Amino acid sequence: MSSMDFFTAMEVSASGLSAERTRMNIAASNLANAQTTQAAGGGPYKRRDVILSAVDAPGAQGTPFAQQVKGVVVSQIAQDAAPPRLEYDPGHPQANAQGYVAYPNINPVEEMVDMITASRAYEAGITTMTTAVNMAERALGIGR
Amino acid sequence: MNNSPISPITPPGFASIAPVEQPARDKLDLAGSFRHALEEAHAAENTSTHAAEQFAKGDPGMGIHEVMIASEKANISLRYATTLKNKALEAYRELMNTQV
Repeated sequence: MSSMDFFTAMEVSASGLSAERTRMNIAASNLANAQTTQAAGGGPYKRRDVILSAVDAPGAQGTPFAQQVKGVVVSQIAQDAAPPRLEYDPGHPQANAQGYVAYPNINPVEEMVDMITASRAYEAGITTMTTAVNMAERALGIGR
Repeated sequence: MNNSPISPITPPGFASIAPVEQPARDKLDLAGSFRHALEEAHAAENTSTHAAEQFAKGDPGMGIHEVMIASEKANISLRYATTLKNKALEAYRELMNTQV
């Protein structure tokens, strides 16, 4: 719907909101699995990271500078390659021959920071959206 | 006394200017644009209903914000259509009140 120019800003904000939602989900997943010693494929859970990339904004075709308006998508969920954290606990059923248990390479403080960043970015996206809606409403009020 | 008619003043070179070709314009009157806006509002309303349904069904790809955005778009489209309708009616009344 290219005739409604303000919708482009809304689409772009929406793509940002979806990306931040995914980031929030990943932060929740990392936090929930901070102590998970067994994951699919063997070994402890590996920290996930969201890779965002810019894409052509949906619905921007036909608007001025359409090629320069970019939305965002989650292009990939990468697994952190950092080695697991080893903790000496010989009594643990998952302990190796030396008595060490491999825990995920997750720092909960870092995950909290990620989570709050995602939350703030979501808020920023909502603000953008609200502003775009307000602009459209102002435009509709011309001459009234 | 013989009054000769005043000959019109012609600026030099005026006739040599070729008339500017008017590009063919879409025939889009107020009623047409209102119909177009109404169709757009209808489509947005359908999208909004569909989004709400998908969300209620538990479609994982449909977030709360998508539902809200779709409904907000439907709202704006409908208000755009309403505004056009009001303008068209206003213009019509204005013409009907013309004193002759």
